[in-house]
Amino acid sequence: MKNRVATTLSRRWSDNLVAFLFTPETDKWLAALRVGLGLQVAVYALFLRSDWHYLFASTGKGLVSRQLGEAITSFDSPLIPKLGWLVAIGGYTHVGEDGVLSIAWACLLCMGVLLLLGLFSRPAAIIAWFLHLCAAESGGLFAYGADNFMTTGLFYLMLSPLPDRYSLDHQLLKAEPGDPQLLGFWRRVLQVHMCFVYFIGGLSKCLGSGWWNGSNLWRSLTRPPFNLISPDILVRFKYALPILGISICLIELGYPFFIWIRKTRFSWLVCILAMHVAIGLAMGLYLFALVMIVLNLAAFGIGMRNGQRASAEIPGSGSTEQHAGISGQSALGTSPLHS
Amino acid sequence: MASKRIHAAWFIVHFFLIAAVCFASVFSLIAEGSTILPPAFDKYARNSELVAAWFLGKQAGAHSPFRRGIATYLHAAGVQTGYTFFAPNVPGYHRLTFELYYEDGHVEYQSPHVSGEAAALRLESLLDRIADDQYEPIREVVVKLLALSVSRDRPYLKKIRATFGAVTPPEISDFENGKGESFQPMFRYDFSLLEDK
Repeated sequence: MKNRVATTLSRRWSDNLVAFLFTPETDKWLAALRVGLGLQVAVYALFLRSDWHYLFASTGKGLVSRQLGEAITSFDSPLIPKLGWLVAIGGYTHVGEDGVLSIAWACLLCMGVLLLLGLFSRPAAIIAWFLHLCAAESGGLFAYGADNFMTTGLFYLMLSPLPDRYSLDHQLLKAEPGDPQLLGFWRRVLQVHMCFVYFIGGLSKCLGSGWWNGSNLWRSLTRPPFNLISPDILVRFKYALPILGISICLIELGYPFFIWIRKTRFSWLVCILAMHVAIGLAMGLYLFALVMIVLNLAAFGIGMRNGQRASAEIPGSGSTEQHAGISGQSALGTSPLHS
Repeated sequence: MASKRIHAAWFIVHFFLIAAVCFASVFSLIAEGSTILPPAFDKYARNSELVAAWFLGKQAGAHSPFRRGIATYLHAAGVQTGYTFFAPNVPGYHRLTFELYYEDGHVEYQSPHVSGEAAALRLESLLDRIADDQYEPIREVVVKLLALSVSRDRPYLKKIRATFGAVTPPEISDFENGKGESFQPMFRYDFSLLEDK
């Protein structure tokens, strides 16, 4: 008897998980992710244009040494891709280090443009992920949060069922969009990932006294190179800093709960996007802001407001009811907390 | 159905690893005593961090395929670090100043620099990183390489003295009272360039 109950519960849990993971989706979110990350990759390459060789040159030629960063990365695992691999390959074909670095930069920019256009979407996503990963790992000493989110975004993008309906691959090459259930799966992955990001970010901030009294916000905005706003202006708003600090903690900590509830989703998303816009403008963290906005819009922004209409757009599908039947929930905008 | 099961299994493993990385970083902050939690939590947090690290294979030998496999996957997915940015508190920043001694006796002051703003952000990230105890073994090497980058287009340099330190910006009340930031030197290195030449 106990065994039967356990088996039933386990099967029900498994069914619920599958229903949650494979809710059919349109490919609008994937188009948003592709275009957004294409823009991100292109902006990343352009922003680093003047310092690219200086950051990634070998010992004695650049700012630090690419080999040092790669040695640190190799300590974790020698299998992690790095620019040194490309330089070594270039050596066999008599292309010098400078040439290889220039080609890598140009390829990264091209992949960004191809992703923007949706031309050869999957190869472009794979090459962009690989080149960006090489750069992020070789320059590991210089890396910061935006690099991790770019790697993660490109990792999910290259695994997602590209191309989407809005890409040139579909328009010109007549490539068909992916299976709606797989599209739903990869969106779920992105959604759950964003929940982890904000929950951990919010939790760790809540553990610091400075986020409750506003001093952390003051320090964030006054330390170089984030000090774009004059401290004299900030002082005028000193009473707002604790409120803003607590709001950031609550918005981040509450994200994995309130983003799933239809009634609060839009407000929470707007708050998170506003926070990232403010980070970008007030602290000069443009790349970080852009990648977070792109990931949020793809995860919870595109096609999430009107579930029924969006579900009717799922290509190659039957009725909306059929999808609701598959998932056991409404076709889009579903969640375990859905009210 | 088999494809769904494979995807679901990957999902569970993937987010299990992410959870391990994230909670390891949160427990690490608590264990360091840098949070508002009472010190009684430190020991439990340290143990929990070790458990999370165990799941990531960090207790295995440096050459263990299991450890390397997980590390490669985490780096490939960009999830090798937790999301504890600017937490629990925002620390001060760090500054590296070079005193450049020329053969004719005159002295110049310089800092490492890059041309673009995006790269400048990365340079600051590097300076904050090398202040960390974890980077102690390579700190001098990094500072020496940065000194080398400054000396490259200065052929008549005799010696470089690098001073690395922490800058503590003023709090709001201190700023209102006219107090500026304070600089606390942490390390000083002298590099002779004549021997190298």
